[in-house]
Amino acid sequence: MINNLIYMDGYGIFVWSSFVLTFLVCAVFYYKTRKTLKKYEKEFAIEIEKLSVERKKIALEKSKVASKVFSTYNKTF
Amino acid sequence: MLPKKVKKRAALLTAILFSSLIAIFIILKTLSSNILYFKSPTDIKNSQDNSINKKIRVGGMVKKNSLIISGAEIKFTITDFKNEIRVSYSGTVPNLFSEEKGVVAEGKLQDKKYFIADRILAKHDENYMPPELKEIIKKNVK
Amino acid sequence: MFNFFYNSNIFIWIERVINFINSIFFALLLVALSFALIFSPPDYLQGDSVRIMYIHVPAAWIGLASFTCIALLSILNFIFKVKNFKLISKSIAPIGLMFTCIALVTGSIWGQPTWGTFWAWDARITSMLILALFYFLFILTQKLISDEDKANKISSIIAAVGFINIPIIKYSVEWWNTLHQPASIKITGTSTIHASMLMPLLLMFLVLILYCALIFLMKYKTEIIRIKKNNLKRL
Repeated sequence: MINNLIYMDGYGIFVWSSFVLTFLVCAVFYYKTRKTLKKYEKEFAIEIEKLSVERKKIALEKSKVASKVFSTYNKTF
Repeated sequence: MLPKKVKKRAALLTAILFSSLIAIFIILKTLSSNILYFKSPTDIKNSQDNSINKKIRVGGMVKKNSLIISGAEIKFTITDFKNEIRVSYSGTVPNLFSEEKGVVAEGKLQDKKYFIADRILAKHDENYMPPELKEIIKKNVK
Repeated sequence: MFNFFYNSNIFIWIERVINFINSIFFALLLVALSFALIFSPPDYLQGDSVRIMYIHVPAAWIGLASFTCIALLSILNFIFKVKNFKLISKSIAPIGLMFTCIALVTGSIWGQPTWGTFWAWDARITSMLILALFYFLFILTQKLISDEDKANKISSIIAAVGFINIPIIKYSVEWWNTLHQPASIKITGTSTIHASMLMPLLLMFLVLILYCALIFLMKYKTEIIRIKKNNLKRL
């Protein structure tokens, strides 16, 4: 059964190589996208942190995105 | 209604698209014989230019009961159900090569009815089904 | 009324959708893979190599569909200057390129045991390669041209011209003699693929579409954050 699944009447190498290749590429691509996103979130949060107290308050009140990113960032770190 | 700038951009894009559409159409028309991956036996019968030493591809079905294997040499007939052409080949064939299945042969024409191939490709059709179903269909046809 | 389309409202929704996809993705992937590799029958002619189709066909569909989206959004963006459309098409493009390449590579891996060759310059395969080229050009113009407005214009025109290629790919197998087989799944009329093979194909398609959605949303989120970050300076 297992042997059959791996060998697939000689087609195994073709089938498995295309499946493994596809999922490997997908995984790497996912990882890279996620990494970029995290990087930007971090930079954005740091930038907000650097603002003066009043301006920080205005930014967090005015922009939902800013407050969302800022709060999730502060939770995780 | 629409601002003038929007209309201008729409016109520009339409002009670009229209001209590239015409350009692509002309390119495809002039290249049409090169785009064809293979010729059918009828194409070969009808064409004037059958230069013997040019490499071409012939495609169609392998005719039923035409396959003869003698040692390393394989002989079979490619048919498009109107005309046919005899093919001779020596070498390995793909797994899917068999009678009544699509085939593309690459090689040189000897004359309008005889072709020596140096490469055989199997052309798969669009039918996908499990083997058991194929057996049932075979029985029903008989 | 159009509140929903404001970036900040979209942003909240993106988070929810990402979390939802993450929660069901692996279960679905497992089901789809077990059907594609174990439970589906081999083909009567191709044997087990038919299983490559379960990746190849959805990948090609995604490649075509995302270019269609990019082209339509680019045309609208070129004419009406909607900034959001630019962000969306920019976020789709890398996934489309990746899946077009996957379709090409898995296709040639399938071609070796079935046709007897890795590559053939037939109309379908060549036009698919041209699609990958258009994706590449689209991404490249946005990366290389630093003037955003100019990059936007040029990439929109590239996408619009590349759109002409989409029907050519679709009908290449009918207009010309190709080594590639005609479509098995037809929008009208009966499909020539058996239900026991259609099911894993559609399952894999669903899984890959969810993956695309996930990547797209993450990229889109990145773009929104980038814009908000620039706005922060102006606040």
